Amino acid sequence: MSTDTDRTNASLLARPLNWLETRSDAAFAYLLLGPAFLLLAVVAFYPLIQTFRFSLRADAILSADPFGAFIGFDHYVDLLTGDALLPQQFLDPSFQTPVLQQALFVTLAFAILSVLLETAIGFGQALILDQDFYGRRWVRVAIIIPYAIPIVIQAMIFYLMFSTRVGFATEFMQSIGVFGSNPLSTTTDSFLIVLVADVWKTSAFMALLILAGLQSIDRQLYDVAKVTGASPWQRFKYITLPLISGPLLVAMLFRTMDAMRIYGLIDATAGCQTVPSMTCLVVTAFNESRRWASASAVAFLTAVVISVIVVLYLVGLRDSESGMT
Amino acid sequence: MNRYQVSSESVSGVSRRRFVKTAGAAGVALTLAGCGGGGGDDSVTITADQPYKDAQDEVVSALHDAGLSDDIDVTIQAGDFESGSRREQFVSTLDAGRSDPDIFMMDSGWTIPFIVRDQLVNLSEEMSQETLDYVSNDYLDAAVQTASHPDSGDLYGLPLFPDYPVMHYRKDLVEEAGYDPEGENWATEPMTWQRFSEIAADVWDQNDNIDYGFTTQADSYVGLSCCTFSETMTSWGGAYFGDHENLFGPIGDRPITVNEQPVHDTIRMMRSFMNGPDANNAHPDYPQITNTDILEWTEEDARAPFTNGNAVFHRNWPYAIPINFNDGEFDDADYSVMPLPYAVSEDEASYEGAGGSSHALGGWHLTINPNSDRTDDAVKVLESFANENVMNTIFEEVGNPPPVPEVLENANPDNVGPIGNFLDTMAVAARNTVPRPVTAIWPDQSPVVAEEVHNAYLGDKSPSTAMSDLEGRLEELEQSV
Repeated sequence: MSTDTDRTNASLLARPLNWLETRSDAAFAYLLLGPAFLLLAVVAFYPLIQTFRFSLRADAILSADPFGAFIGFDHYVDLLTGDALLPQQFLDPSFQTPVLQQALFVTLAFAILSVLLETAIGFGQALILDQDFYGRRWVRVAIIIPYAIPIVIQAMIFYLMFSTRVGFATEFMQSIGVFGSNPLSTTTDSFLIVLVADVWKTSAFMALLILAGLQSIDRQLYDVAKVTGASPWQRFKYITLPLISGPLLVAMLFRTMDAMRIYGLIDATAGCQTVPSMTCLVVTAFNESRRWASASAVAFLTAVVISVIVVLYLVGLRDSESGMT
Repeated sequence: MNRYQVSSESVSGVSRRRFVKTAGAAGVALTLAGCGGGGGDDSVTITADQPYKDAQDEVVSALHDAGLSDDIDVTIQAGDFESGSRREQFVSTLDAGRSDPDIFMMDSGWTIPFIVRDQLVNLSEEMSQETLDYVSNDYLDAAVQTASHPDSGDLYGLPLFPDYPVMHYRKDLVEEAGYDPEGENWATEPMTWQRFSEIAADVWDQNDNIDYGFTTQADSYVGLSCCTFSETMTSWGGAYFGDHENLFGPIGDRPITVNEQPVHDTIRMMRSFMNGPDANNAHPDYPQITNTDILEWTEEDARAPFTNGNAVFHRNWPYAIPINFNDGEFDDADYSVMPLPYAVSEDEASYEGAGGSSHALGGWHLTINPNSDRTDDAVKVLESFANENVMNTIFEEVGNPPPVPEVLENANPDNVGPIGNFLDTMAVAARNTVPRPVTAIWPDQSPVVAEEVHNAYLGDKSPSTAMSDLEGRLEELEQSV
């Protein structure tokens, strides 16, 4: 009797497994992706929706519950008109707040400049590494070393370089007329320090991704181009660039998303008061002043800005010949 | 198709059936592994500084000697060292409704926001009248104010120890320069900023090998608004919110008084200290005694040059005293402290509480978690802390001065380490403190004050423009509540 029951149970268990085995590869792939998507929905989309809901409530700094009454889009209006009750503004269209004290512009300027510089330098490094020369392996290691350094250590290196107590770089930069006497207290100087620190570290990331793209290009194409008399510039323009554009855009997309979320590097060098990025604003509003609803609104706006940029990249990728969409 | 690409079926050694089973089992195992933990014991737990944990045996023994029942066991655990992180830790604990720890050690700079949010136990309702009377009559009044509800006046925290800065200086250098600190009684008689800066400039001038006549903290951070700027402004007769009775509110119904002459003069004096009297927006009557390095300095940055023998005067909290004794590049006898200087006397100041030598009041309180399972025991533990012998034990074992000025003055100098050399100065500082203007809106106002003052120190804005901007921003925040 029990043997019969076991057999029935076994066949009951076997049924979905048998069904699974008869699905197409595509259906099986989607089935396997299902749990991951569900997890993503729980850990990413749910918090995002919840953040948006919180952002529609008032700040309640006098009560144990940090969220007050429903006030609709007031926080968004305040954030976009320069009236937010935060130490730094998200956006001030009247420009009474200096540009580099407005989180949106600080972050966009940082993202655009750092990604452009990192791409240019990374591309140059990748082109060199793509050549055959003696000691190439060691050069690769040397280029990748900055990328292996943790953010806080990276930030400390630059902080100490410009620190008034032990730094040596301020004097030099001052002597060539670039910085004032207190670069870590001055918004423009600090912005440049953070930018250079990021470029120094992350160009290696771009170099490696671009190098991978370069090495996937069939060398015979260059041989053919040489035979037909193409100049090095023509070979770069008509072979390298079109074939590398896909991986290049993906690498830039990753870097842009990272750059738009910049926080740790700023916090450990100049501080959020001097260089207020969008994430800085979220952390300050959340930790320092308990304006959790305002913090939620800044966080949601940050997600919106990043999404817009991602969409632009995806359009670029679709249009590129080796697009992934 | 790439020539390396082949059917997945032919290379895979794992069937779908096996894959699903294995992945499922691994998931269940990992989920179960994540469960468990927790636990605890029956003692009253206090989250405090590491030195309290290190001195747990002595402190707990003193509590029992002070009358705490032997049935009540006390465990001290170390909280985050950094004040802001400690606050975030307590915010999470209270928001999550956790019952552990039973007692929090809270910074007097951020206790009131917890009180007005009704997130702590009201000690006025729980403690014995005897203890409440002791606190209201004998404890440092300014410390008690930062542990009380600004409207009802009810006590929500028991001051554990107060903290107030002093001026550390190199006695050997000033004596070599022809001054007589002991004869002129520098230890207990505050001098004016005028005389102080002239001495600092003179001594600095006579010692070419020393980089700074004076080091202090002028970075744009919480310490600038709560403390260094606040006390210097107060010593000039200026104030954030008029009379000091307004320091704790009422929010939105008190004057904003930052855009006034004494506050402008404070900034001008600091600019003279950094850039000399001829610089833009500097005060012509004060000499240069330091440089703009201080604009990036917090406590430790400013202490290091002094400890290394590279500064004549240095403003800092008493924690620096044992460090200077132990690590200072000078003999112990060559080092001393004095009260902070002032610009106008209390009589000359426009606001009650302002003027005269002023020392920003820091310090920490003990408060009770309303979600505690042992509230009654926790109250008894707090009552035992309100005891002279416990205060002296803490002074001796941990180095934190008693919250009762009389206990401080009567402490045995031989038992309290290096601070014992300067109890007279500490007593003067304790009597001349200026509390932080802590209200529920202060966490929003503090970074704004720091930013505008720092802008003016840097010279990015004139003192009047910076203070006018600050006035507007403070008013806007006041009206938002």
